[in-house]
Amino acid sequence: MPQKKAIYLASLLTFFILVPLSLSAWGNSQDGLFPITLIDDFGTEVTLIKRPERIISAAPSNTEIIFALILESKLVGRSEFCNYPPGVEEIESIGVMSPLNLEKIISLEPDLILSYGGFQTKDIPRLRELGFKVLVIEAESLAEMLRSIELIAAACGIPEKGRELITDLQERISVITNLSAIIPEIQKPKVFTGSSYETIWSPGNGTLFHELITLAGGLNIVGNQQGWVPISPELVAQAEPDIIIVPSGIMNPDEINKMKNDIINRPGWSQLPAIKNNQIFTVNEDFFYRAGPRLVDGLELLYEIFNKTRKE
Amino acid sequence: MKSLIKPEKNNLYGYSNWRYKAIFIITIGFLAILIIGFAALNFGTIAIQPQKILSIIWQHRTDDSLDLIIWELRIPRLIMAMLTGMALASVGGGFQGILRNPLADPYILGVSAGAALGACSAIALQYITGLYLVHILPIFALIGALISISLVYLLSRKKSHLPMADLLLAGVAVNFFFSAIITLLLAISRREIHSMVFWLMGDLSAASWQKVSFIFLPVFLGTLLLISSSLELNAMALGEEEALHLGVQTEKLRLRIFFIGSVMIAIVVSFTGLIGFVGLVIPHIARLLVGPDHRIMLPVSALAGSIFLIICDTIARSIIAPTEIPIGAITALVGAPIFIHLLKRRNETDEY
Amino acid sequence: MNIEHTPIISLKNVSFSYNQQLVLQEINLSLSPGKFIGIIGPNGSGKTTMLKLISGILTPQKGKIQIFNQDIRTIPRKKMAKIISMVPQESYITYNYKVKEVVFMGRIPYINQWKGETILDYQISRNAMEKTDSLRHAEKGIHQISGGEMQRVYIARALAQSPRILMLDEFASHLDLSYKYEIINILQEVLKGEVKCIISVFHDLNLASYCSDQLILLNQGKIEKIGTPQEVINNHTLKKVYRTKTNIIQHPELSIPQVIM
Repeated sequence: MPQKKAIYLASLLTFFILVPLSLSAWGNSQDGLFPITLIDDFGTEVTLIKRPERIISAAPSNTEIIFALILESKLVGRSEFCNYPPGVEEIESIGVMSPLNLEKIISLEPDLILSYGGFQTKDIPRLRELGFKVLVIEAESLAEMLRSIELIAAACGIPEKGRELITDLQERISVITNLSAIIPEIQKPKVFTGSSYETIWSPGNGTLFHELITLAGGLNIVGNQQGWVPISPELVAQAEPDIIIVPSGIMNPDEINKMKNDIINRPGWSQLPAIKNNQIFTVNEDFFYRAGPRLVDGLELLYEIFNKTRKE
Repeated sequence: MKSLIKPEKNNLYGYSNWRYKAIFIITIGFLAILIIGFAALNFGTIAIQPQKILSIIWQHRTDDSLDLIIWELRIPRLIMAMLTGMALASVGGGFQGILRNPLADPYILGVSAGAALGACSAIALQYITGLYLVHILPIFALIGALISISLVYLLSRKKSHLPMADLLLAGVAVNFFFSAIITLLLAISRREIHSMVFWLMGDLSAASWQKVSFIFLPVFLGTLLLISSSLELNAMALGEEEALHLGVQTEKLRLRIFFIGSVMIAIVVSFTGLIGFVGLVIPHIARLLVGPDHRIMLPVSALAGSIFLIICDTIARSIIAPTEIPIGAITALVGAPIFIHLLKRRNETDEY
Repeated sequence: MNIEHTPIISLKNVSFSYNQQLVLQEINLSLSPGKFIGIIGPNGSGKTTMLKLISGILTPQKGKIQIFNQDIRTIPRKKMAKIISMVPQESYITYNYKVKEVVFMGRIPYINQWKGETILDYQISRNAMEKTDSLRHAEKGIHQISGGEMQRVYIARALAQSPRILMLDEFASHLDLSYKYEIINILQEVLKGEVKCIISVFHDLNLASYCSDQLILLNQGKIEKIGTPQEVINNHTLKKVYRTKTNIIQHPELSIPQVIM
């Protein structure tokens, strides 16, 4: 349908226009990049006097961006949950993401702290009070993720490297979106993803996951709802998804099979196309919940899954 | 132990003015707080030597990160723990007195639910509106607490009276109602549930000099005001009518203790979340140590509460550093066995 | 009812309702000093209520109560506590205070919270315990003594309050015979001192007859009769109020009426 095509084209254009435009918002000096004043995702102005040499990343997404920008030599602290890429274990852990261990952070004497927002917001004012530079980075879409790379690259004085990375990622994204754009609506598989607990939480419109599913050419069965929503198993049964995506941190094949069986045996779901055709896929949740470069890996993975399903 | 704490001057009914006893005990209490407080400063994620700590306290410099840790993190937190413990324990003792109920705690009259609802609303609102509300969360919590306190008062008031049973029931009802709303909030807020639960469990990690300056005066004044009602609280223990016959205006006393206690706790809880068990158990420990005379028991309760919370907070933040255990869990873990032990002892010997 | 001195307690047209139920109505009373007054009557006739009205705990909807010629409503609570003290029938003390502490609480109306007590307060408490033979229990917890001992402790506390009017609600229900006599002696002793009036509610008519100089017989919220025990305790009046036949004899040694079963 031409309407949908237009939307896809528009979003593509947004990537190519918005991002370079926003570049001009950063940085306010011509020669010598510092001092620099930046505006973080919560709208706070942060001024960095000099190039940061000791960076702490309080969230896995930020850590992955740091590594992707090849800045890991400057990383002196990372959150307990940062697990990618290999080599991250060498860096000292500052503990859990909330509450932030202020003693540990202070003792590492950072000149830049990359925080996540969310549950960390209550610790950030304290850090700023004590004189630390904190950038809050909270991305909830692909575009925002790319902007995070922008922000971090600018903060660290390597805007060109940032642009490079962003361009790479944008290219990969447009490959997928182009491929999906030509798929007719009726051929798109209906996709369901959600938590496996008693109450199922499923990502609706406005979430990262939803965006990835849509761009990869799938139809999210809760796409008409906003944010993460609790849904009943009945709704899932009604929607008759063709594919079930199970994001998980577990990699052990036996455990994965157990998970799949639980889903297959869920009362009332035996007639779902996804279950009848055995279209249940486990994916590494880190690809989909972290607003880092690996979101694009996730996008590509989803496209592959949907493509295979469509062909069959 | 008992004779150590209560130095009886001479015979059976020796004239030992309670003031001397009280001054003696309070001095010991404050010394204990100083010593334990200093010991607490030695614990944390980062190891700092005692000599270094002393030199930092003596000479405060702002450019050293260790100095920052001691002066901006550990010391305010220590003072916060001390003040919070003091408030919780003395209000717990006060409420146990006016309600004539050994199971009363500072939250029983509606403070906790209101503060919790206020705090959780702030957290939920922040997500919905995108506004940066976290640093005014204490204001939300305080407003919530004041609303629930007023509700309890209005519900239990009969004309110009404030009957005891009604006060208790109103407190319980309000707590239930607000808790239900909180549960609802928790159920529909996936992202913020973590923050909300953490707040509910009590948290001293965000202590700062600014916060300390807010609660310092209310806690000290409030505790003093509570202690000033000690004689009347003694009379209340005999019974409502007996107290009236002894000249105590029981309704005014109840109102006074209710408001002073609730407001004091509301202010403290707005900053620290709900730390349980301290207000319930510490007054009983105080009674066990020095007897039920409120003139000595309340000050001892306040001091013991401080010490208890300092110790619990130290455990909470250093036992599995760098991760922090919510302090509410520690007070319950430490407090519950003590409470059970007290109950057994009470049944066996009917000590106090 | 001789009117030698001005009445220390007077009730004029006092009525009291509780939950829209009329408990006492049209009570007119004038009590002279130096007397042991007994209040008797069937259950629900308003005996305890009358005590509470006089001590000021309850406020009558109608009428005026005066103590030492002062309207009770103008007397602040604390001052009242220095005039009247009350021995309850039973009560539950929340914490296990020591006996001496409980008695000492009788001094609360006189003690300034911050200045603390004086040696006089201790002496008065000690005296009260000596008089009631509860001194030997002084260090025991109140939950650890028997009912009879507790009653004596309550009386000691009421005495420690240095009252001018002493009120009791069934003071002898848990007491052994020997203690009954002792307490009555003590009460009669203090009546000669600063205590100007003792008012006690009785269920036991014989005890009432034995102790009291004056009896007030209540019936369904009204005063049926006031007078000496001889005047009040007679077959006719008792039959009317208690609705049973009674047998009244004269005490063999004293000239007081006794009811026998």
